[in-house]
Amino acid sequence: MAPLEPWEKVLVNADFMTSTHGQAKCVDCHGGQLAEDKDTAHTGMIPDPSEDFEGTCAMCHNEQSAGFDQSLHSSLEGYKTIIYSRTVPENHPAIEEAFANHCSSCHTTCGDCHISQPDSVGGGLLTGHLFEKTPPMTRTCTACHGSRVGNEYLGKHEDIPGDVHFRQGRMNCVSCHTGASLHNSDEQSAGHRYFGEQLPACTDCHSKVGASSDPIPQHVLHGEKLACQVCHSVEYTSCDGCHVAVSEDTGNPFFKTEGTYTTFFIGKNPLQNEYRPYEYVTLRHVPISPTNFEFYGENLLPNFDLLPTWAYATPHNIQRQTPQNQSCNSCHGNPSIFLTADKVKPEELNANAPVIVDEVPPAVPGQ
Amino acid sequence: MPRLRRWFGLAAFALILAACSQAPAAAPTVEPTALEPVAPTATVQTVAAKDTCVECHTDKEQLIQTAKPEEVKPKESEGVG
Repeated sequence: MAPLEPWEKVLVNADFMTSTHGQAKCVDCHGGQLAEDKDTAHTGMIPDPSEDFEGTCAMCHNEQSAGFDQSLHSSLEGYKTIIYSRTVPENHPAIEEAFANHCSSCHTTCGDCHISQPDSVGGGLLTGHLFEKTPPMTRTCTACHGSRVGNEYLGKHEDIPGDVHFRQGRMNCVSCHTGASLHNSDEQSAGHRYFGEQLPACTDCHSKVGASSDPIPQHVLHGEKLACQVCHSVEYTSCDGCHVAVSEDTGNPFFKTEGTYTTFFIGKNPLQNEYRPYEYVTLRHVPISPTNFEFYGENLLPNFDLLPTWAYATPHNIQRQTPQNQSCNSCHGNPSIFLTADKVKPEELNANAPVIVDEVPPAVPGQ
Repeated sequence: MPRLRRWFGLAAFALILAACSQAPAAAPTVEPTALEPVAPTATVQTVAAKDTCVECHTDKEQLIQTAKPEEVKPKESEGVG
């Protein structure tokens, strides 16, 4: 997505003036002052008034705003849950500094979705300051969720098709990830997107899967042993080691990722609960390493092994037909698609013990 | 006597008719008086404050002229974010 020109980012569509939100004066929300001179006008201006959503958007949009501060887009609590699980309280100040420099830019306000593009892609108004109830997917959702979900869903990996929900269903993100689920997170989900109820769940639409009337015997046979992605996903992105630092030359924060590649591995479910009862799930390698934050201090992740580095994944590249569902023995007795110990870095074996498949499901005779 | 009563009634009726047919009294007239000339006073007109925000931000050419050139930050990050 090409970045906007500086003038494009702030060009207001004349139609905005006749819209509901356009009835207020600019300075009512943005501060600053009415003045011919640009610098004078911009003195004290608030670029994103929705940062204080309770004082702005919530005045009318009560339902959407209630609990927004608990939503994962606002709180970024999911990152903190995982990072803090690997560290100890005395390291929190250093971790918080790293988080503020390198992670907090993903914090999302109302305006970051409904009015402008994310800063990560240069910012700027979406449609001349008109408020978009359903913003364009590629300029908001996948602008941030790009390197994994976006690329997988849209089919941007060479020789790997995009998700059938996009290719044939022409569905955008909010077709499944509703506004309600984005604006709020329930108590369980507030800690991590995979903690609470599946939102969405495949069976929300595909309700007959696994039912007695399901014409596909493999659905009934496997029941809740397999996550849907185990049979219906294809290769997806994994990453290694994201090291962060602040440049001595420019003072800007930056990162260096050791590697990015595509894999498809089935492993044991590390998050088994009532909402995710599966025994086998798809896993992707996440870019965590013991030295990710070494710029900020030594040994900041002393409990590194408490969580696997091959993490529970829900790749957004669903296909009806996949290599592993061509026949029973495309999966059974096929160690190449299972996360076995030989595929895990030696220094990460301990961390991944809960997810490594020790015994590959045996081949099915006659299949 | 009846003849006298009849003539009296007719006379009374004629008298009543005469009273009703009298021309109405003339309406009082007001003589126009010359008005003293009065100097015109300045009227206060409310003028909406010019919305300089909208004027500028809906003018593509003006935004192009006044846009601050974006600082090109060196790309120090490596790999996929």
